[in-house]
Amino acid sequence: MQQTQSNGFVRFLRSFNGQQTLGNSRFFWCAWLVVVVLLVLLPFFGSRYQIITASNFLISSILALSLCLIWGYCGILSLGQAAFYCIGGYAYGIVAMNLIEAHGNTDLAILAGMLAPAIFAALLGFLMFYSRLKGVYVAILMLVTSLLLGLFMRQTADPSYVIGSAYLGGMNGLSPAKASDPSLPNIILGLGESVMEFDGRGREFYWLVLAVGILVYLGLRWIVNSSFGYVLVAVREDPERAETFGYDVRLVQLGVFCLSAAIAGLAGTLYTAWGTYIHPDGFSVAANILVVIWVAVGGRKDLTSVIVSTVALNWISIELSTLGEISMLVLGCILVVAMMAAPEGVVSGLGQAIGRLIRKPAATTTKINSQPPAHSFGLPKVERTP
Amino acid sequence: MNAQSKIEMSEPAGPSILEVRDVHKVFGGVRALNGLSLSITEGEIHCILGPNGAGKSTFFKMLMGTDTPTSGQILYKGRDITRVPAFGRARLGLSVKFQNIRVFADLTVFQNLFIPLRRHYSARQIPERVEALLAQISLAGTEHRLAKELSHGQQQWLAIAMSMAFDPEILLLDEPTAGLSVEETEKTAAIIRQLNAQKVTTIVIEHDMGFIRDLCARTSVLHYGKLFAQGSFDEIAADADVRRIYLGTL
Repeated sequence: MQQTQSNGFVRFLRSFNGQQTLGNSRFFWCAWLVVVVLLVLLPFFGSRYQIITASNFLISSILALSLCLIWGYCGILSLGQAAFYCIGGYAYGIVAMNLIEAHGNTDLAILAGMLAPAIFAALLGFLMFYSRLKGVYVAILMLVTSLLLGLFMRQTADPSYVIGSAYLGGMNGLSPAKASDPSLPNIILGLGESVMEFDGRGREFYWLVLAVGILVYLGLRWIVNSSFGYVLVAVREDPERAETFGYDVRLVQLGVFCLSAAIAGLAGTLYTAWGTYIHPDGFSVAANILVVIWVAVGGRKDLTSVIVSTVALNWISIELSTLGEISMLVLGCILVVAMMAAPEGVVSGLGQAIGRLIRKPAATTTKINSQPPAHSFGLPKVERTP
Repeated sequence: MNAQSKIEMSEPAGPSILEVRDVHKVFGGVRALNGLSLSITEGEIHCILGPNGAGKSTFFKMLMGTDTPTSGQILYKGRDITRVPAFGRARLGLSVKFQNIRVFADLTVFQNLFIPLRRHYSARQIPERVEALLAQISLAGTEHRLAKELSHGQQQWLAIAMSMAFDPEILLLDEPTAGLSVEETEKTAAIIRQLNAQKVTTIVIEHDMGFIRDLCARTSVLHYGKLFAQGSFDEIAADADVRRIYLGTL
């Protein structure tokens, strides 16, 4: 009995491994666990500033993961991922400000923060994918949509732009409609009396973001390494061929696009709660491109690499900001060199190199056992060749 | 210019599985298909022949469902599928293999077959099915190799295996011998004949006359977007008008 239980557990763990992600070895997961433990313990040895910054990095990582899914795994470059992030942020803020007094929690607001961008993505995606728009046209349309939304939000300074007790507020960002209305609340989870509040500046909020980040990461690893992950690869590599096998490519693209938007919206929700602040700058070109840079430098085809690069680039840009004006130039140079050195991603390139180093001595000893493991549909593990 | 069509030199046997009725396709000012009517009999191997610009590629796209005719009808088992998209036709049992190989180069042979099989077989059945398919195309034991490590010919057969993986009723092959050596071409013909023995109706768009003779297939010749001639390969090869349109384009 215990045997079958442990087998089931091993199978569950293995469902996060597969060819679509780097880091499937025991060594990787041990290192991963160490990093997670360190991150959990961070509030006990980090300063308040460090915890607040770390929360922000984690939120950015979730946003980057959403782009990694749609771009790296489904082959659709969305240059408007920040738009979903902001739509999520605004939706969370508007619903939270309207319901906080009546409900005493922000459960529905968080849901709105994910659903609003997903619905928006469904409408936009339907128009794009069902008219067979692809490649650079999707990217441009997404960017233009984001800019238009930003333009619209900027001119909402007029007092008539009020939704219930939330005033859109133009460039000043979301604020209460009247002085008596509640301001943008922290995240409050729970029902009725048993609720828990997560102050964006506090360590509880940091742990919440960390937990959400881990769930999103593991969830996406599970999806891309499942049998559906191979459909994603087929759709990314050759959509026309995938269609001739009976896959409704447009539906797959639309579904993943909506999921990606929902994750970006979740990140936007957390961001709004983190600073209790959301304003239209997030729709700008810079904001959208930044996400693309995090993902491209990390390696768009691997979830772990994208998180590493997002954290690293955010950290570098904060460190460089002490240099003043020249920091953007230095950051730009780093990016250009990184992209030229490893067009498929710096972190994933390094990861593959490390993987080869670790596997090389092992390969000679395990050759006898060439049968694929019985997990993940008997799909044999493949050495990635450069 | 408008050569007189010579249709039906010999009558097909059996019911038709696919019927193309008076299909026109106009791109800008070009009439790629100009009233093409053609009937494919259930269980046969049918070759489509024609000089460059005869409308073969357009016809392929119409059958596959990635493009729709300007006018006319395509019937599959009596059902109008003119507006059914490519994935819908695949689900109905119409499978295609493109002229260029289009396997997933960075995936293993197993994974390449897994993708088309996934929709139709359970995870437990798939390894067995892969083994059977690989045996059929003489690639047994290559499951774990990356598709890009296979030879050109082997990739062609893998692509054919992917197209027949989900037991289609009709297999549409666009120039399956492009770039193959003589031995590889012979083997491809053997694979197609073997498939046909399993009652798969096969439509082959091909240039290689020797290959068509090997298949002993009923042959349709397209010319200027129309059916120009139809019959057994020997009848077609002996026909003076067919020779004329071919020689005319050389």
